[in-house]
Amino acid sequence: MRVFFATDIHGSEVCWRKFLNAGAFHKADVLIMGGDMTGKAMVPITGSNGTWRVTLRDQETVLNGEDEVAAMEKRIADRGYYPIRLTPDEMTAWQADPSLVDTRFKAEMLAQVERWMALADERLAGKGTRCIVSPANDDIFEIDPIIAAAKLVELGESNNIELDGLALVSTGYANPTPWNTFRELPEPELRQRIDGLVKDVPDKRRAIFNFHAPPFGSNLDNAPKIGADMRYVSGGQALIPVGSHAIREAILDYGPVLSLHGHIHEGRGAVKLGKTLSVNPGSIYEDGVLQAAIVDLDVKKAEVKRYLLING
Amino acid sequence: MTTGEMAKAPALFLRNATGLVKGWSAFDAFAYSFMSVNLVALGMFYSLAIFGYVPDGSAVLSILITAIGMTFMSIAYAGLIAAMPRAGGDYVWQTRVLDGIPGAVVGGAFGAIATFLVATAFGLDTTVAYVAMAGGAIVGAGLGLWRGGIGFVLSATGWWFILALWAPIYAFIFNIEFVQPLAAVLGWKDGVTFFSGTDGGFSVSIFTIVVTSGLVALGMAGYARIQKWCLYIGLAALAVMFILMAVSSVDSFIAAYNREGQALFGVSNAYQATIDQGTAQQVAGGDVNNFSVGVPTFALVPFMLFFLLYPQWGSTLYGEVRGAGDFRKVLTGFLGGLWATAGLAVVFVLLAAKTFGWTFFNASNATYVNHAYGYVPDATVVPIWGFPGLLASYLIDSHIVQAIIVIAFGAWWLGWTGTLFLSSTRMIFAAAFDRVLPEWAARVSDRGVPWGALALIMIPSVVLSWLYAYQAATFYPLTLDATLVIAVTFLGSSIAATILPYWKPAIYNGSPVARFKILGLPLISVAGLLSTLFLGWSIWAWIFDANNLYGIGTKNADSIKFLGALYAIAAVVYIVARLWRRSQGVDLDAIHAEIPAE
Repeated sequence: MRVFFATDIHGSEVCWRKFLNAGAFHKADVLIMGGDMTGKAMVPITGSNGTWRVTLRDQETVLNGEDEVAAMEKRIADRGYYPIRLTPDEMTAWQADPSLVDTRFKAEMLAQVERWMALADERLAGKGTRCIVSPANDDIFEIDPIIAAAKLVELGESNNIELDGLALVSTGYANPTPWNTFRELPEPELRQRIDGLVKDVPDKRRAIFNFHAPPFGSNLDNAPKIGADMRYVSGGQALIPVGSHAIREAILDYGPVLSLHGHIHEGRGAVKLGKTLSVNPGSIYEDGVLQAAIVDLDVKKAEVKRYLLING
Repeated sequence: MTTGEMAKAPALFLRNATGLVKGWSAFDAFAYSFMSVNLVALGMFYSLAIFGYVPDGSAVLSILITAIGMTFMSIAYAGLIAAMPRAGGDYVWQTRVLDGIPGAVVGGAFGAIATFLVATAFGLDTTVAYVAMAGGAIVGAGLGLWRGGIGFVLSATGWWFILALWAPIYAFIFNIEFVQPLAAVLGWKDGVTFFSGTDGGFSVSIFTIVVTSGLVALGMAGYARIQKWCLYIGLAALAVMFILMAVSSVDSFIAAYNREGQALFGVSNAYQATIDQGTAQQVAGGDVNNFSVGVPTFALVPFMLFFLLYPQWGSTLYGEVRGAGDFRKVLTGFLGGLWATAGLAVVFVLLAAKTFGWTFFNASNATYVNHAYGYVPDATVVPIWGFPGLLASYLIDSHIVQAIIVIAFGAWWLGWTGTLFLSSTRMIFAAAFDRVLPEWAARVSDRGVPWGALALIMIPSVVLSWLYAYQAATFYPLTLDATLVIAVTFLGSSIAATILPYWKPAIYNGSPVARFKILGLPLISVAGLLSTLFLGWSIWAWIFDANNLYGIGTKNADSIKFLGALYAIAAVVYIVARLWRRSQGVDLDAIHAEIPAE
């Protein structure tokens, strides 16, 4: 069985489209998206009467006509940001009332996930490739039912999914972060949550853990240290482990054949923890590059035959 | 809405999400650049110690010309970092950009030149050398066509293999800037004798390897704190040195040097004896007030790269949703480190001429190099190198104060040496994750120690340290090879920067650097091209100088063979890895194969 695992695409349209095509391209039997699907930023395109202005990565562009605006919107969306058309009056209102921003953010995230699920149903139809999506700590809870409603996409979170004799156990909850995101749990509660999910798996070795946060101290969790002012310490050179102790201990205690992680975009790599191969494919979604792990499993022996980390 | 009102409007709205940070301070970027372009550990040790070999060159202008050349490279690198921020440096930039036809051209040209030089160094017949050249071109082009091949060869040599040679060089720096001066001022004559010998040199190399490995094990977070303190202590030591040099006359220095020559080494009238020895060896000439822009001045430039080549060393931009402000911040850090160092270097040579005397300064340096590198059999007048920090400390007639100054100068080494193996381990990790190296190369212990990667750099470092110590006549003259190989790696990235807007427009157009143009041309391409020309010229000078000024070119067959071995090993490792992985059913081409979006 070939598993294609990607994660942390944060709203990048091009990365999602690549993900859906990866099954055919890399001959994968199962596609797994590890969460943090939704974008982090909205880019306002401001103007009216056919002339618009936008500043993307400090680069201001004047757009004339619908074609130019649409091309810019695609470029913004491919980077993982939400393009938002605003009139000058709307922009003024948004600056005055942050709740307008929050409301629109939520609407954009939900609309995108709905669009993505529809695209998945369309592209995966008749392919025989299974697709599992498991939201993670940066994803709002409201996207879960949208994923669950998709015809050809299975919701990973808290649902143990049978994969050719192996059990996929998923949670997008992470140990606490400085950003206080949606799905965070203190370490003891995270361990309880994992234990609760794993208890129904008869043979723990025949499990695949799809836990968003990487195990602590695994090198898959090295992130640049930040100070209390949310600035990088030592110019981003000081890398520290920020993964989850609960997840590390669970991997070592249960010894699944494979564990899949994301969360720390800089933590790309693969390590052996006990008998388990743990991978974090990393993420450079802003470049439009889909980083992923391709893992070939011998399901009879519950062994990893080979793996590859790719930049697709 | 007016343009002015638009400028005040936010360019984006962010929500609360993991990884969104406020960036980092420009001072941090400057500090790392400044410590990498290390005025004391690299500059004083080598670049600023060789003016006696090119007496007609302008010391000041050679520093400034080199800094101008490196400005182009800094812009190109800042552009690459802004365009591919978390890609991880040369290995990934070259792998992602130098593929297809550009990769084949670069690989083919490199393979052809390298094999021809190696064949010639082995004394093969010209016809055979041309056949070898054709073979090298084919292999090089093949590596270039293979996704990842050229990136691996250029990066493995520049970020891994050659750092094994840097290990004994780092140790040599530590030995002659710290250990021997400290032993001397503390009156430990046996120590001076031991550490000046081969056993002492090898011991310091092993110490250096252990320390740098320990710093990797400590982790960058811990080391970063040490680095900051080293920066402050090192700057304080430099300030003391500059003040001592500024307020002292050459006569007072002559008296101080002769006093310490007698007290520490039993040598009378050491100042004049040093000048006499330098004059006899024809390395004591020159005029610091020479500002002619001629061939001799440009001949000094490749020497200056020994310290000015690295303003971008270790810099990686982290984080998301970043913009052109980060390009400017990174570039400001690079250029700040580069030009602050160049400026201090100019001040230093002017002060050295004023206080030490230019003739003496050059004689002291070059006679030591001549002896240490085995160019002449004569022992130097005093048995240790005239490290400028030590020379300045002589102006204070107290061995305790002298020792304190020497110890403080050691911060320049300690704050910089930790990056030696850190860079290698990152490169080894990247190659292991790409399955070019075995899995164990990327394994870490429970304490987070990357023992596999450390072993892969420590073992060759020990071997080269042994050779450096006990085959000194062969390996000391290869010192500039350590710079050349890294310059070749940087040349590859400069070419990548040049072609990025045209070969990978999707990456370039979406990057913040795309807004910067010169005469309508992409800034990154212009800077990349100028950097390519500058580095290409320097590499050409190192290799083909007819007078063997740099000691590592075609006139030194050992150097060419050594370089050839490095690149051959890298190519073989990559080719074997591809075949080995293919036998396991792993297709390394899949690593960089772009999945169609539609």
